[in-house]
Amino acid sequence: MSANDILDVLNVQRDSLDLPAKKKQKVLNDVAAVHRQTGLSRELYSLLGPNTPPANLSNATSSGTKSKFNLKPSPWTRQSFTAQSGDQKGAEFFHWVKGSKELIEQEPEKPYIFEKFNVRLDIPELPDEATFDTYMSELLQDEEDARVKEEERKKVAEESTKSNSTEPKTETATGEKTDTQNEEKTETGTKEEKRSTHENKRSAPDELKNVEQSIPPRHNWTYEETVHLFELCNAFELKWPIIFDRFKYPGLREEDLKDQFYRVSAKIYQSQPNASHALIESLKSFSRVKEIERKQYLEKLLKRTPAEIAEEESLVIEARRFELAAKKMLVERSQLLTLLDSPQVTQSTQQYQSSQGLANLYNNLMIIDKHQKKRQLQQQLRLASSSEPLPPPIPSAASSSYKRDRTFQTQLQQYLSNVLRQSQSVNGREPNAIQQLLMKRLTVKEEEAYGLHYHANERLTPGVMLRSTQRLAGTQQRQSVLRSVNTLLQELDIPTGGGTTWRPVMPTRKTMAKYDELIRSVVVLLDVKRARDKLESEIKLIKSQRGIE
Amino acid sequence: MSGSAVHGGDEINAIVLDPGSYYTRIGYAGDDFPKITTPSFFAIGPDPPKKGKRTRIFGEAIGVPRSNYEVKPIIKDSLIVDWDAAIEQYKYYFEDVLKINYKEQPILIVEPVWATTEYRQKVVEEFFANFDFPALYLAKSPTCISFQQGRANCLVVDIGHDSVSITPVIDGMSLLRNTTKTHYAGAFLNAQIQDMLNKKYPNLDLCAKYLVRDRTPTKYPEEAKYTQRQLPDNITDSFYEYQQLALWHEIKETMLEVPEKKLASDRETYKDETHKRSFELPLGQLIELGIERFELADSLFDPKSYPLRDQDKFPPTNGEVSIKTMYDDYRPVKRTKRTESSQSSPPPEEEEAVTIRGLSQLVAHTLTSVDIDLRASMAHNIIISGGTSLITQLTERIQADLSNTNPGLKVRLHAVGSSAERSSQSWIGGSVLSSLGTFHQMWVTKEEYQQAGAEKILNQRFR
Repeated sequence: MSANDILDVLNVQRDSLDLPAKKKQKVLNDVAAVHRQTGLSRELYSLLGPNTPPANLSNATSSGTKSKFNLKPSPWTRQSFTAQSGDQKGAEFFHWVKGSKELIEQEPEKPYIFEKFNVRLDIPELPDEATFDTYMSELLQDEEDARVKEEERKKVAEESTKSNSTEPKTETATGEKTDTQNEEKTETGTKEEKRSTHENKRSAPDELKNVEQSIPPRHNWTYEETVHLFELCNAFELKWPIIFDRFKYPGLREEDLKDQFYRVSAKIYQSQPNASHALIESLKSFSRVKEIERKQYLEKLLKRTPAEIAEEESLVIEARRFELAAKKMLVERSQLLTLLDSPQVTQSTQQYQSSQGLANLYNNLMIIDKHQKKRQLQQQLRLASSSEPLPPPIPSAASSSYKRDRTFQTQLQQYLSNVLRQSQSVNGREPNAIQQLLMKRLTVKEEEAYGLHYHANERLTPGVMLRSTQRLAGTQQRQSVLRSVNTLLQELDIPTGGGTTWRPVMPTRKTMAKYDELIRSVVVLLDVKRARDKLESEIKLIKSQRGIE
Repeated sequence: MSGSAVHGGDEINAIVLDPGSYYTRIGYAGDDFPKITTPSFFAIGPDPPKKGKRTRIFGEAIGVPRSNYEVKPIIKDSLIVDWDAAIEQYKYYFEDVLKINYKEQPILIVEPVWATTEYRQKVVEEFFANFDFPALYLAKSPTCISFQQGRANCLVVDIGHDSVSITPVIDGMSLLRNTTKTHYAGAFLNAQIQDMLNKKYPNLDLCAKYLVRDRTPTKYPEEAKYTQRQLPDNITDSFYEYQQLALWHEIKETMLEVPEKKLASDRETYKDETHKRSFELPLGQLIELGIERFELADSLFDPKSYPLRDQDKFPPTNGEVSIKTMYDDYRPVKRTKRTESSQSSPPPEEEEAVTIRGLSQLVAHTLTSVDIDLRASMAHNIIISGGTSLITQLTERIQADLSNTNPGLKVRLHAVGSSAERSSQSWIGGSVLSSLGTFHQMWVTKEEYQQAGAEKILNQRFR
């Protein structure tokens, strides 16, 4: 006995319910169908009915969890290791490693896993004292040469500035001012202040001189000091703040240490045959004076007062605002330009000067517009499939006026083409044939033929409108009235355009007007009929009340 | 090892020892909290110590009143002063409490920055001589704190019991020359509290809790109602003082609050009724403290304005430490002073004549002594640590003061939220450090120490 049998006995119909359920089951239990249920007897299984759980109860998953529980715990072994390898053997420590003891013992001994992080910098080795001394004397010589050169350069520069300063009067005045201050040897800070306000050409070299004066001369390095320095550089991997911190000889700056290290390293590399030229150059590019100067400037920057900082910040904000405004203006301008940028006329406009051509143009524009809309939609929704396929363009021959006024239009076309040909041949004398045509007073027949109509006192919405979508004035009625109008029209066998809008099958202006008239009269008729019915029933009521009849 | 790929750790269960001036912390590396937090004090009886037998008492047992037992500190200023007691204490905890097998793991000892070479040498030698650890490492406490916070570059402000120290840490290494240290810390506050109470309530018996069996609360001018406990004779003064520490601690924890600005500038706002709090003394008397609460806390920031009666205990200090014997008075040349144009700038703090520096001044001073390239990152990573830093509003005050004195820097303070973590931050950092896989290459064995020589090991291996 199956569930179906029971349901049959109970007079329950479930065929309609069953069908989709079965379908679903088929999809869900595709795999289950292969793995037939074995634990239950067939009858019992079918008794489960349509309430079978949607989840797939295959054996695979249950066995999976079971095997997980039954797994043996993975063995871990406490193993000894030494962190350092090579010449310096470190102490033996113990840590836990995954894997059984036997397995780990089999493995070949590897270097400690974190050993690879212990990187050493490639720092040149300091030579013996004799070579060091020669290096130092060479360096001194180089320095002397550089200084002589620098002084020469300065002299030249000074002369040039002197000649410069004679030119404008105001500049000489300020120049003299600074000169006198130089002699007075006042505080450098005030001088710098003044100079920064004046901003003359002399300020840069002058300031340099001042800073140099405040920087103590190079320290005379001994061999021991340098050895200590190199040792520290090795130990602390060129972390200069720390090297400076741990350097045991007093009276030096961090820059002094850097300077000594870099120039000695450069010397050492120069003496080696296969050293890279770029490295030596980069080592030589360190300038102790420049570095000290830089730090002094930074220090000054930090010593700004809150007022100065606030001023600077406000300036930055203002600058940002200007930037934003400029960006906005640019965007606006580009938008304006795109608006002004109308499509250029590339073909002759002649083909659009007939009504057929206009219809063609209209259709094409519609298609382009729809395409654009479609594209926009697609961009918005990013669902290419969801957008509807385009309706096929209406063939121009199907337009009503074409067929009916063919003869007239051909005449008109001939006339127009004639006129245009004329105007082309005598270019300049009669500029626009169409304008002339329009200016000519048309007869009623002609107006009708062109489809011209003057909307005297009708309200029109701007833009192009199709008559087929136009709402008739007469249809502005209540829904119930419209329904009865509809039934009347059906009785009279008058065809409608169908759908929700009320319109004739062929909505020309004339038919539309007639149609409107018809609907209005039908509505009036219906009103009259309703009034009559009402009166009749009232009369009947009164008659029955008065006992007549 | 499976986890090592993720966080670079490799557990070898090293022992981490952090001897602080108030508490000593011992535990296993990789733990998030020390197994043992014990006072850095010991109690010793009148009998001469016998060979091979423990005569000193450690831990909470110190608090039991015994006749003729003196309570003495093991550590002063984070440095071990009583070596015999220290070794015995560590032995007691290693062997009797933790029951460790020395051979199995190395030990990391947290040391202060101002430890001298001789002291450090003594530490290494004593540990190798007395314990069987295969290797050891001396880690500077600011380094540990920077590891606890996971900030390689930071300025560590450690406000402990005996000392306030400020150390810049670069790439996880402490800069010794820039370290400053004063003693305007927890113990200084204790003295301040004692002075204040003596001055305000001259006739008040402060007592200590161990003397009282039971009490009924009274309000101060009334007599205290309590019954005394039966105690053995000859309780020493040192025991009494040690017991009183608990009272000072309670006042510090519950009463003190740091004023927003230097208190001298607006005392009136703090005299308000709303700022009053009452406190129950051990004898059951309630006293009310108002502006005193702020004055006490303010003394950390402005010690000059709060002179102590006992001047000798805390001589004036401007916080400059000479750490090495080779160290001289060289200081980086400061920017040339601007005399006329700097009227609007904040008043210059760093005068040669400065003899006393409060907490904020000290931080600001340390900050200016750091190399200019590092200063911005230092100011942005200031770590506030140590038990005394838990006083209400302390970090806010430092923040405000620093922002005022350094308008060009972006000052950001980091303080651990949990109070327990903040006071044992350096131990936790040591635990982090010594459970890193890459760190295991840094341990120094006895052989290496003997081969390479003390100086090289101390200055280049122990960074």
